[in-house]
Amino acid sequence: MRSFIYYIREFLRPEWLKNFFFAKTAPLVTPSYFKDYPTLTDKECTGCFKCMMICPAPGGIEVLRRKDQWVPEIYPGHCIRCGLCVEACEEGVLTSGRILDITRRDRTAFRSWYHLEVDDALCMRCGNCCVSCPINKQEDPQLGSSGTSSSDEVIMRIEGGRVRILHEEKCTGCKTCETHCPNGAIRVARMVEGVHEEVEA
Amino acid sequence: MSILQDIKNVVRSRSIHVAYVDVGSCNGCDIEVLACLAPRYDIEQYGIYVHNNPREADVLLVIGSVTPQWVDKLRAIWDKIPEPKVAVAIGNCPISGCVYNRRGTLTSPPAEKYIPIAAQVPGCPPRPTEILNAILSVAPLIFKDYEEKQS
Repeated sequence: MRSFIYYIREFLRPEWLKNFFFAKTAPLVTPSYFKDYPTLTDKECTGCFKCMMICPAPGGIEVLRRKDQWVPEIYPGHCIRCGLCVEACEEGVLTSGRILDITRRDRTAFRSWYHLEVDDALCMRCGNCCVSCPINKQEDPQLGSSGTSSSDEVIMRIEGGRVRILHEEKCTGCKTCETHCPNGAIRVARMVEGVHEEVEA
Repeated sequence: MSILQDIKNVVRSRSIHVAYVDVGSCNGCDIEVLACLAPRYDIEQYGIYVHNNPREADVLLVIGSVTPQWVDKLRAIWDKIPEPKVAVAIGNCPISGCVYNRRGTLTSPPAEKYIPIAAQVPGCPPRPTEILNAILSVAPLIFKDYEEKQS
């Protein structure tokens, strides 16, 4: 009987009634570390396009020329908020959540290079790739019309009836060789590797 | 301003019925919509109820880049919803196709080509709070004084 009266009194308490009828969860706030759309910092963009090249979403980021200055622009509706552009930028132009703090703490970075690959089944050894390459022209102005060269400094040359790639690291990824190849045998691929700098003990 | 309209306004503001349709997504946005139903976000406290029946829905959540099988069916679902109705695009996919909008994929985004989309929630996936805010902010715009606007 006592407990019955206790509960009646409890349920008639104004505070209890208010909680019961107007219950609401706490307003939801976005935490400060939420990885939202990247925003610009005050650092200056150099226009290296590394953010555009690493972006996995089509049309997610574009680096535009605005009044003598490169400005990266994020497109919501295309951007998937993965944060790879923030990590790839060496200047720290973009920021999002805790990405910059974490990369600084863990000393991680992205290393990228261009990989040249020739499909021997498709290649017909015309030498167009070696002749069209602008770096090849710089290294050896006497580059033969068949793609042969006496210089060892060229990126690639025709050697013994085959394309031989000598200096892959000099490639700038302009893809001139790809557009000039009649068979689509040569492919330029941008390779990206996550590197972790060892902390010296 | 009639009394009937006032009553309808009050009822509609606390009883928004939602149907969601997955027109070829990766299920990421479906899970975020599901998170809205869970106690942490709890959309029912705002008077939003999920019924997966277009006949009794007010709001249609379109999730996913539109695959060829959905092109005619999305329109059929939209036609089944009684007036007043509103469609909200959830995630990047119905807006731009997101990562599926590239060569060799069987998608034909955006969803706006097939049904009128009133609001877009970008993100891959969007946060449940963003989905909630979109529904809560777009619903009064369409449903308030609907009959008076019609006449």
